[in-house]
Amino acid sequence: MAKNKLHASSGVQKQTSLIPAYIPIVLWVLFTFVLIGWIVAASLSTTRDIFLGKTLEFPTGLHFENYSKAWYSQNVSVFFKNSLLYSIISVALLVLVCAPASYALSRFRFATNKLIQNGFVAAMGVPVVMIILPLFSSVSRFNILNNDTSIRALMIFLYVGINVPYTTIFLLSFFSNLSRSFEEAASIDGCGPVRTFWTIMLPLAQPGIITVSIFNFINIWNEYFMSLIFANSNATRPVAVGLYSMINSMKYTGDWAGMFSSVIIVFLPTFLLYLFLSEKIIAGVTGGGIKG
Amino acid sequence: MRQNKAVIAIFLMPAVLFFCLIFIYPIFRTGLMSFYEVENITSGMNEWKFSGLANYFKLADTSLFRISMWNLFRIWAVGGVAVMLIALFFAGILNSGIKAKKFFRAVIYMPNIISAVALATMWLQYVYNPRFGLFTTFFDAVGLTDFAKTQWTAPGNKFWAMLFAYCFGMVGYHMLIFSSGIEKISPEYYEAASIDGANKLAQFRQITLPLLTGVIKTNLTMWSITSVSFFTWSQLFSNVVSDVDTISPVVYLYNQVFSGGNVVTERNAGVGAAVGILMGICVVVVFLLINLLIRDDELEY
Repeated sequence: MAKNKLHASSGVQKQTSLIPAYIPIVLWVLFTFVLIGWIVAASLSTTRDIFLGKTLEFPTGLHFENYSKAWYSQNVSVFFKNSLLYSIISVALLVLVCAPASYALSRFRFATNKLIQNGFVAAMGVPVVMIILPLFSSVSRFNILNNDTSIRALMIFLYVGINVPYTTIFLLSFFSNLSRSFEEAASIDGCGPVRTFWTIMLPLAQPGIITVSIFNFINIWNEYFMSLIFANSNATRPVAVGLYSMINSMKYTGDWAGMFSSVIIVFLPTFLLYLFLSEKIIAGVTGGGIKG
Repeated sequence: MRQNKAVIAIFLMPAVLFFCLIFIYPIFRTGLMSFYEVENITSGMNEWKFSGLANYFKLADTSLFRISMWNLFRIWAVGGVAVMLIALFFAGILNSGIKAKKFFRAVIYMPNIISAVALATMWLQYVYNPRFGLFTTFFDAVGLTDFAKTQWTAPGNKFWAMLFAYCFGMVGYHMLIFSSGIEKISPEYYEAASIDGANKLAQFRQITLPLLTGVIKTNLTMWSITSVSFFTWSQLFSNVVSDVDTISPVVYLYNQVFSGGNVVTERNAGVGAAVGILMGICVVVVFLLINLLIRDDELEY
């Protein structure tokens, strides 16, 4: 309430006194727009025009064929499909694995409850380099890296595993905030705990599940280090590694416009998600978990 | 009661299983491995040769690894100070009563949702490009023609160019954390301070900062955890397999164990494991230091 009172007093005078506050933030935002906007322009330009400094003038029109070229001949379509496969399946599996765990941790009292919670929180601070070597040696001993399908399954397995602690901890607060009266009513009606969870509690935690799934999707879509090590073949690469390999080959082909359109293709899915859901994402960063 | 136990087990089993397979077992094995000479990363434990702390001494003796640690320290310390100050500054601005707060906030956070590879490419191939880059064009336009000729990604400048670009992307996340802390401070404090004649700056120092210890801790912890895994930016900004300018410990490990490259003089995955353990120790030490130095009793986010 007091906040509203303050805001009500913010008239023209208040805004004028805030000009020094606007300047740095407007410059920063402007820079971000120039950065993204120029890349978009360059992705529709030609390498020649980019080097002539005429990226924003489009003397030869808009070159949408950069996108189709990148999509078909530069293998971007394959990387894109791989990333979609990895992220969507992992995100779905993460809900199936973590929501029940989170529910159990938030609802039931048992000896190892606190230990598991602390373990998961600690795992969120474990750098990937601490676990990557044994994972790699197990994986290569089982001959997983010789076959594209098993690599794909492996990537999903790794993405699920690495995000289990974060997802479970994130959902914890959502389940703790649900009233116990739902379960009491369900048990009076003779509904068992497993069915109560799937039909009543899980739908109630939907806002949290959607937010954490958006984060998981973005994190997995952008993941680079593990896929560089495990999924670095033409058929299995996700977009981040694919983009890196394309940039490297670009040094020889010199197709700059094509490279910028590939950057946009990689950037677009998470950006579109953000465009529509930025408020939810921002609320999730600060409210739900401690990891972005 | 017994039924409850079964339910708990069913609900927790998959998550705990993943946790053990992906975290517990590998952490212990990495720890063990760091005390052994392991010729090939795929070799079984029976082929490992115990070597005590030799791997750690070897790392301390390798100049490339020492450089990578120095780089990591500079990224953490210099980048950390810069990002925290800018993030706090912007968080303060966002909550000063400006219009379009949500819009500004959303744009500043935006780089965090972009793939680091795409973002680094934008900086490398556009902003820092000596022919048509943003910096060159901009400084030319404002008349600083000599400055415009700077080779931003030449040896010597490259590290700072990388750090600058990296920090630009990181500000948004830490700004959101600071901002959420500031939003929770009751406006009545500020009203009372205004009546007493305290200006904005004094209010910020006397009211905002002391009430932000909890979020400061969160921010420093998160910054340290992300810094330790510094890899993508370093790899994208280096042209050769191990660029001394930008190399980070994780890049060093990656080159040692996973990619051939000309830097690998001797194959020993145990050294790689020692790097992993050292990074883990870095996180723990920083975490303990943060909690020791910054006392915070009442606030938690």
